[in-house]
Amino acid sequence: MEQLFSNLPVLVAHTGQNKILYHLVVIIFAAFAAFIPRYFPVLFFSTRHIPEWFNEWMKYVPVSLFTALVVKNIFITTAGYRFVPFGHVEQILAAVIVMVVAYFTRSMSMSVIAGLVGVWLLSLVV
Amino acid sequence: MVKAQINPGKARWLEVLGVSMPLCLSYIPIGLACGILLHAAGFNFIMILIVSIVVFSGGAQFILASLLTINAPLSSIFLTLFFLELRYALLGSSLSKYIKSESQHFIWLFAVSMNDENYAINYLKFATDKKWTPKDALMVEHYSLISWSVANMVGGLIGSAISINLEVVDFALTALFLYMIVMQVQSHLTLVISILSAILAVVFMVLTKSIIGVIIATLIASFIGFLIENTVRRRSKHPESNWFLTKLFRPKITRTTVEDQQERQQLAAVKKQLEDQEQSQNK
Repeated sequence: MEQLFSNLPVLVAHTGQNKILYHLVVIIFAAFAAFIPRYFPVLFFSTRHIPEWFNEWMKYVPVSLFTALVVKNIFITTAGYRFVPFGHVEQILAAVIVMVVAYFTRSMSMSVIAGLVGVWLLSLVV
Repeated sequence: MVKAQINPGKARWLEVLGVSMPLCLSYIPIGLACGILLHAAGFNFIMILIVSIVVFSGGAQFILASLLTINAPLSSIFLTLFFLELRYALLGSSLSKYIKSESQHFIWLFAVSMNDENYAINYLKFATDKKWTPKDALMVEHYSLISWSVANMVGGLIGSAISINLEVVDFALTALFLYMIVMQVQSHLTLVISILSAILAVVFMVLTKSIIGVIIATLIASFIGFLIENTVRRRSKHPESNWFLTKLFRPKITRTTVEDQQERQQLAAVKKQLEDQEQSQNK
């Protein structure tokens, strides 16, 4: 394992021409980036007692995280992480449509489809 | 309390498939979109299939595609993905109490195929459905994994044939997150925390100029939520009728979680004990 990692920079340096090999290396790195944060916390907390306060704290994690990600997608530029309040007006309006549909139907597919149709139609107008 | 089953012979896997169907269906357009983006970034369809199985995260794959198109170095690809996936540490530890009694192998399998959407379904199911087992939860994960990776591969195959506005396609992810927020916001406090998290996310992303701003905002906002709830429960004489903890008006939502029911049962048991003690003292 250690050898594999110490050889990686050399391997990558020689893959200028070989796209498939480079993509495989990217996939391996991506797999580790996906695996580490998923597995170890679950393992840690499934073998130990979880303190009550930690559980109570975790209760508010999903809603905070999803909000932060939505804000990132709508109000933050991907290039320089600048704040643009009205950079995607059609997405803001479509977001309102999604929330209304989700509130009344409680259906995930309905909400996503309404959002996609909404943002597509609005992008033709705005 | 026990509901009569309409079809007792109905196989469990079919039932679970029914639960995961909305998710599997909504993965199709997003998966197609992701496959198209990854194809545009230079991956062939076998690579797309592999990456969608091992990463299995819409957000990470969308970002991976955009990093590949700008020829970002391997180190920054790894770090960006790692910070983006760091949220699973939080999601996973909040689910771990339900899968405690399972084997190491099961926990491994469960952890690698967890993602935002099947987490949302499983969390809701574990919290509201007493009969929901870890095996069912794993099944939901695998159904969604199959639908996601197949949709990705098909997207990769048709990517060269059709041209779609990629920015519209990108919105599928935002819509999915919005849906989950609306499902999560039940009390006034969750609404306050959601708004707080939005403000903090902007501040910290602009300050750090990276995705880690999302993680910082999440940790702070959720911790403040915990602090407020804790303070209200300790200080207030009637915590349930406090403004923060009362439920928002919602159409047809009267679900109580399993935890709520257990809490009520425990309270009743303690009350009974106290009454019994009083009676025996009076005698």
